[in-house]
Amino acid sequence: MSQHFYHQNHTRVISDSLLENVSLLFYEKLWKFQRKDTQCQAFVKRVIMSRLFKIIMISTISTNAFFMVLWTDYKTRYNLFRLFEVSELIFVSIYSSEFCMKLYVDPINYWKDGYNLLDVIIIIIIFIPYSLRKIKGKHYPYLNIADGVQSLRILKLITYSRGIRTLITAVGQTAYTVASVLILLFVLMYIFAVLGFCLFGVPERADLNNWGNLALAFFTLFSLATVDGWTDLQQQLDARNFILSRSFTIIFILLASFVFLSMFVGVMIIHTEDSVKKLERELMLERHMTRMEEKHVILKRQQEEVSKLMQTQKNVDHKSFTELVEKFKKTLRHTDPMVLDDFGTSLPFIDVYLSTLDNQDATIYKLQELYYEIVHVLSLMLEDLPQKKQSQSLEKVEEK
Amino acid sequence: MATYHSVGHVQLPRADAIRSRLIDTFSLLEHLHGLSQAVPRHTIREILDPSCQKKLMLGDQHQLVRFSIKPRHVERITHAQRLMSTLQVRCSKSPPLSLWAGWVLECPLFRNFIIFLIFLNTIVLMVEIELLESSNTQLWPLKLTLEVAAWFILLVFILEILLMWLSSFFLFWKNAWNVFDFVVTILSLIPEVVVLVGVTSHSVWLQLLRICRVLRSLKLFARFHQVRVIILALVRALKSMTFLLMLLLIFFYIFAVAGVYFFENYTRSTRQDLEYHMFFSDLLNSVVTVFILFTMDHWYALLQDTWKVPEVSRTFSSIYVILWLLLGSIIFRNIIVAMMVTNFQNIRNELNEEMAHLEVQHKADIFKQQIIQRRQNLIPEAQRSSISKMDARDANQQGDSLDLTEASKEESKHSATKESSRASKSKTKKSLSKMKKSASSSSSSSSSSYCSSSSGSRYYDPIGQLDWETHVHQNLPGLMDMDQDERVVWPRDSLFRYFELLEKLQYNLEERKRLQEFAVQALMNFEDK
Repeated sequence: MSQHFYHQNHTRVISDSLLENVSLLFYEKLWKFQRKDTQCQAFVKRVIMSRLFKIIMISTISTNAFFMVLWTDYKTRYNLFRLFEVSELIFVSIYSSEFCMKLYVDPINYWKDGYNLLDVIIIIIIFIPYSLRKIKGKHYPYLNIADGVQSLRILKLITYSRGIRTLITAVGQTAYTVASVLILLFVLMYIFAVLGFCLFGVPERADLNNWGNLALAFFTLFSLATVDGWTDLQQQLDARNFILSRSFTIIFILLASFVFLSMFVGVMIIHTEDSVKKLERELMLERHMTRMEEKHVILKRQQEEVSKLMQTQKNVDHKSFTELVEKFKKTLRHTDPMVLDDFGTSLPFIDVYLSTLDNQDATIYKLQELYYEIVHVLSLMLEDLPQKKQSQSLEKVEEK
Repeated sequence: MATYHSVGHVQLPRADAIRSRLIDTFSLLEHLHGLSQAVPRHTIREILDPSCQKKLMLGDQHQLVRFSIKPRHVERITHAQRLMSTLQVRCSKSPPLSLWAGWVLECPLFRNFIIFLIFLNTIVLMVEIELLESSNTQLWPLKLTLEVAAWFILLVFILEILLMWLSSFFLFWKNAWNVFDFVVTILSLIPEVVVLVGVTSHSVWLQLLRICRVLRSLKLFARFHQVRVIILALVRALKSMTFLLMLLLIFFYIFAVAGVYFFENYTRSTRQDLEYHMFFSDLLNSVVTVFILFTMDHWYALLQDTWKVPEVSRTFSSIYVILWLLLGSIIFRNIIVAMMVTNFQNIRNELNEEMAHLEVQHKADIFKQQIIQRRQNLIPEAQRSSISKMDARDANQQGDSLDLTEASKEESKHSATKESSRASKSKTKKSLSKMKKSASSSSSSSSSSYCSSSSGSRYYDPIGQLDWETHVHQNLPGLMDMDQDERVVWPRDSLFRYFELLEKLQYNLEERKRLQEFAVQALMNFEDK
């Protein structure tokens, strides 16, 4: 029985390992997959990273934005109809070719960058009115919405401006807190909307205009929260002689407008400070690192030169740096003054350094004293121990 | 370099830095290549000091000067100082007119006079406006005086601008306050000239006249330092918020253009009772409407108005309005507030930079005093002479005594390490002190006092030692950045020896540390018995 069981396990193990091997091989092949067109890829990448490309894109997007302003006026659109069509063609072709080039350079990592996703979304938005016209015909009522959404094209500019990108990263870190505050506000509004609907929207002498259904109630409450025209709304409720209406409105305004919206400000201030400080620290760190690297490079170069010198000296076999400079040292005279004003050879530095070395010496001597004491005590213990052992062994012998 | 050291040699970064410093200071590489280098004997400060410079110029003029590149704290150099040091001014017989103009402008009497005139201008303007409507013939002499006073003030302002031009024409345009002054004066000059020429007294020009006279009181802003600081802070805050404002403009654009398209049906509707009918009619109106929504004024009324037209889809219009309210007036406005708060704090810190620098200098001074005090307490004899020469005319003696202390230190360290490497138990303590004493007795008295001081410091307060470490770490950067007014004269061979010994010291310290670790390990293994 157990052998049979074992045999079954054995086969299962073998089949598992086979599958694993196959999948491993497959993954290896996949990861090792190299593109054959490396030169073309490098060329296209260079084109995309070049300044000329950036300038072209920025000017295209700005021209597109300007033309969109022109097309808002019906008369201009009517007169310059051909220009409208041609410019639309040009812009759409430029955007799609940019998309294709960027995708070609790096198909997998393209989707990881948020700004590339924005580009994709904008291209989809560009193709919406055309497809809607084709599918639904010319008199679809929502066509003007599709045209209006085209104004989002200007968001492509953000990719090409470093300042706005840093700003968005700094502000984007506050997005989580903003979202939480908004959700809290929404929950509060929901509670009060249901309350208001039941109190003011259901009974016979109801204010159906403002509290008739839940959506209207939400709007009314949002109007109260932004304290815009709330006295008119309150007047309408007063005219219908609702008892609780005043306290309801005032409590909601206090909560939503004063507490929540001010909380917003406080939260944003704290997070903006934090993110700005973090950005500055990163910048300082970067600068520090580049400086250290430069120093390192200079030092290395010096060392290499000295070693080269030592190697090229053929007449005398120098063993070390000191021998190399022996000759030089002999030329130094005591009466030759050298005037220096850098920190390493200044008197305060020497004073500080020597004092610190003094302290270091003192601590080490103290440590050594402690070590000797420990050793002394342990040796004493060691002397006591064999005596005890002897006495113990004597006792054992006696017992036996 | 590594090939020329014995096996097991570890390169210490500090030692490398010291060696590179040595190579730099003595330009060893050029020497070893065979190019001889003359020794610069003077620093740049000697040249700038007038008495020293005179002495040098009288002597041998073919001397080399060592340039040291160090960030120096530059106090404000006024234009007059710069002017005084130009060659033209120094070689001329009489001071140029620009210097006099500059002196007049800086003179406090003149400045207070200008401020007084600005106030007078405001008062004159106020009285004139009150009297404008009245046609009381009795007040005619008063009107005349007011007019004359206004002209006189204008002439003085023009004179002030001419003085500034005289002082330095190009620097005038670089300062934004001056440009503002110039613009205001020209603006108030043009209508008067036009009226004088007699292009008929159109009411438009007279109004312009009045307005531009009012603007002259804005010149006051440039005069008072606090107001200047506040305005500068405001301008800088706005400058750092440029990207935020650009982003806001982009959103304005998006919502304005989208608004025109979204509310097309609303604009084209033929209903008569629409209050906000023309609000989305073309792009300009749309931008204004978007701004109105940004300030959250009557947004609900606008929304309800759009709902009156049945073709307008309720969902999209309410999404538009609510989205813009959330994004624009709630989120963006609070971001602007937050950025302003952060920027104001930064700007306030930066404007106090001058004071902060002075404070750091002061602290570094105190630190230096403390170091001197400490050394004085520990080593009474040897360093007292060096302290008296701390103003660094000649540190020859110091170099020597330091040399010797370095040498003795080396020897004592060598002996210490040898002893601890033997790792015997109780006798080592006595032998150690004996060795030290013998080493010290062989050198001069300064080193013996040095060793006794180190043994004295053994009984030093341990709490004070800890404080010293952190104290040094805190104050060292300040000391490094301090404006070094002193320069040290080293004899050449002492300097070379100093660098060499410093390098060797690093290796010795490293070795001592390692031996200490060996001792500790030996101790740990001891208890296995």
